[in-house]
Amino acid sequence: MTAALLVATALMGLAGTAAGAIAPVRFRIALSSALTIAACALGFVVGAEVLHSGHAAVVHTTTLMPLASFSLALDRFGALFVVITAVVGICAMIFRFGYDGQGLASRTASSILPLFVTSLLLVPAASNVTTFLFLWELMAITSLLLVLTDHARRSEVQVAGQWYAVMTQLGAAALILGLVLLATRSGSQSFAVIAVRSAHLPAWVRSTAFVLAVVGFGSKAGAVPLHVWLPRAHPEAPGPVSALMSAAMVNLGVYGIVRVGMGLLSGGPAWWWLLVMGLGALSAMFGSLHSATSKDLKRLLAYSTTDNVGLMLLGVGASGLFADTGHRALALLALVAALLHVVFHAVFKGSLFLSASSVHQAAGSTDLDQLGGLLRRMPVSGPIFLVGGLAIAALPPFCGFVSEWLLLQSMLHGLPSGDVAIAVAMPIGVGVLALTGGLTAFTFTKAIGIGLLGLPRTQDAERAGEVGRPMWIGAGLLAVLCLVFGVAPFLVIPSVVDAAGAVPGLHLAGALTRGWNVALPGVPGMLAPGLVAIGLVGFGGLVALGRHLVQQRPVRLTEAWGCGRELQTARMEYTATSFGEPLTRVFEDVLSPARDVDVSHLAESRYYTEAAVIHTTIDDAFERRVYRPADRMLVRWGAVARRVPNGSVHRYLAFGLVALIVVLVVLA
Amino acid sequence: MDAGSCNGCEIEIASIFSPTYDAERFGIRLEASPRHCDGLLVTGPVTRNMAAPLRKTFDAVPQPRVVVAVGDCARDCGVFRGAYGVEGAVSDVVPVDLEIPGCPPDPAAIVRALRGLAGT
Repeated sequence: MTAALLVATALMGLAGTAAGAIAPVRFRIALSSALTIAACALGFVVGAEVLHSGHAAVVHTTTLMPLASFSLALDRFGALFVVITAVVGICAMIFRFGYDGQGLASRTASSILPLFVTSLLLVPAASNVTTFLFLWELMAITSLLLVLTDHARRSEVQVAGQWYAVMTQLGAAALILGLVLLATRSGSQSFAVIAVRSAHLPAWVRSTAFVLAVVGFGSKAGAVPLHVWLPRAHPEAPGPVSALMSAAMVNLGVYGIVRVGMGLLSGGPAWWWLLVMGLGALSAMFGSLHSATSKDLKRLLAYSTTDNVGLMLLGVGASGLFADTGHRALALLALVAALLHVVFHAVFKGSLFLSASSVHQAAGSTDLDQLGGLLRRMPVSGPIFLVGGLAIAALPPFCGFVSEWLLLQSMLHGLPSGDVAIAVAMPIGVGVLALTGGLTAFTFTKAIGIGLLGLPRTQDAERAGEVGRPMWIGAGLLAVLCLVFGVAPFLVIPSVVDAAGAVPGLHLAGALTRGWNVALPGVPGMLAPGLVAIGLVGFGGLVALGRHLVQQRPVRLTEAWGCGRELQTARMEYTATSFGEPLTRVFEDVLSPARDVDVSHLAESRYYTEAAVIHTTIDDAFERRVYRPADRMLVRWGAVARRVPNGSVHRYLAFGLVALIVVLVVLA
Repeated sequence: MDAGSCNGCEIEIASIFSPTYDAERFGIRLEASPRHCDGLLVTGPVTRNMAAPLRKTFDAVPQPRVVVAVGDCARDCGVFRGAYGVEGAVSDVVPVDLEIPGCPPDPAAIVRALRGLAGT
């Protein structure tokens, strides 16, 4: 039954694509979105059924692709990702009904968006190398086309598209090499067969395949130093697309690392997982630092995605390390924490990206220094962003708190194990988690304080109003989930444990949930999110009661003492740049901000200043130090190479002769 | 508070805290914030620019409070009466409880007036 539903999911998605391509303009968005929602709903049912029953949904056909079979087998681990994508997809499509991206309404975008969502839903089900690479590339190319939606109107979009195209195709190349290496050496391209035979492969094959997979999947997940496309592409993509990319697509990078490292290769030596943890720690710190100093709302969110992917990789790496050293229970705990963070990140980042797009539509900008005062002007979308921000800052009673707590616990409980690698890696992991937690709180204090509170800084922000109902319903559903999962994580944790348990060699000694509480099996540690929430509500009630009692007496309400000043204008407020300035200064060596002061003098005398303008920019260090020099080098080599074929027939004949001789020598 | 004074009165007010007059021994202290004050000493004619800050400062002083207009300008605009930038005397802007005449008033007169107000 699940297999039929899986096929129906794919067909429904293709129907959405067809509808987007041929439906008349009036019904185009409605029809393609509705069919995509239906595809997501079907995907959700398949995923939930597989997660519940544990029976894989298997579809196998040899007629669809030449020379290779098209084969899907959705197990519990993949089903978790299908369910996440389905939920984010449904919310993003509801959001799209109200979204006024002119580009996204075009025929191209309307037909490609359903295809993108379908490929996202099917990638975790792929069960052989060809199918996987086909769906993976489909996902990469459709997402690239969607990023380019507004390319005609803004030149930044083209630049972002170029970065994304190069990075995603380099990643895909690494992936193809790695998976093909595994498939040829183990004699089959079926994932199930590779998983059985991979144990007998030579160590260098396994390690090469794993490293290539980490590079390929890491570039999709946006792990540092392969993240450079992410802060460019996510802000330029239309709202629903950026939400899908950040909340659903990057997850598949984490999925791939776990699938290859723990599924196909059944775990590996400690240095693999230290590599993953290292990438995770670097991504978490670099991402959180850059998101704390970004002043563009969507760029900030994109860097925060890198930060959260880092935390997921930290959990995955810790899990592999525990499994390698024989701590099975802790390995599963760490993987559950990582997967739980995948789920919760999808929920809160989805709502944040969607409500950031609402802000963009309402106020015409995502530059925090152009916003302000939006919480009052957007009485629904503002609180949705607030909830997402609280969840991502890991504050109870929202969901981010639970997954980060679990991640922290799993790493802390590894400390008494006595293994050297664990004893070195785990304290660093805990430190990184603590640092990024603080920086994330700082980041979203800035995003909410500068963007939503205070006075509007521009006329557009002043005129902003609440967005249409579909938009806040789409973002709001995810925000509600933030609260529901934060108060009652037992709704989702058993499914995540089942999904993690599908990875070979991992099993949990006892349930992770006890009633409403989260309890760690085998190690001391318990969290009662329900009680935390009740405590918070109770504390809030006490504060309200106290204020009520105090206000029984006559209270004189006056404005705050400001030395008698008359004005309060937006120009006197903190800006995002000034808020982040102390942090920029502290981390000057890492961020290396560029400061440029332009002073123009009066024509009459250069002793008088007419205007002074200060520009501060913070470039990505990896982009500046690694990618730009590489780019320049490629261009230079290209110029040299262009001189080789100079049009002379003699020279081409010589090339042919030399090549022939080389081939003969090699063959002999 | 200087509402537009020529600073003559300020010099006399400053000198009541000097060793010669030492107003602090009577419990009279100069405070930086109106939130910490019991009374408001206003000098000078109230200029247009200072009228609103004067009202805000007055509002910021906790009740019960007294307003003392120090000097002839504060009482009735003095030599600046009718000038274009002048809003009026202090009593035109905020209710005045005590006036200290003089241009500028003698430090001893200020101390005497404030002691009379406090009953010390």
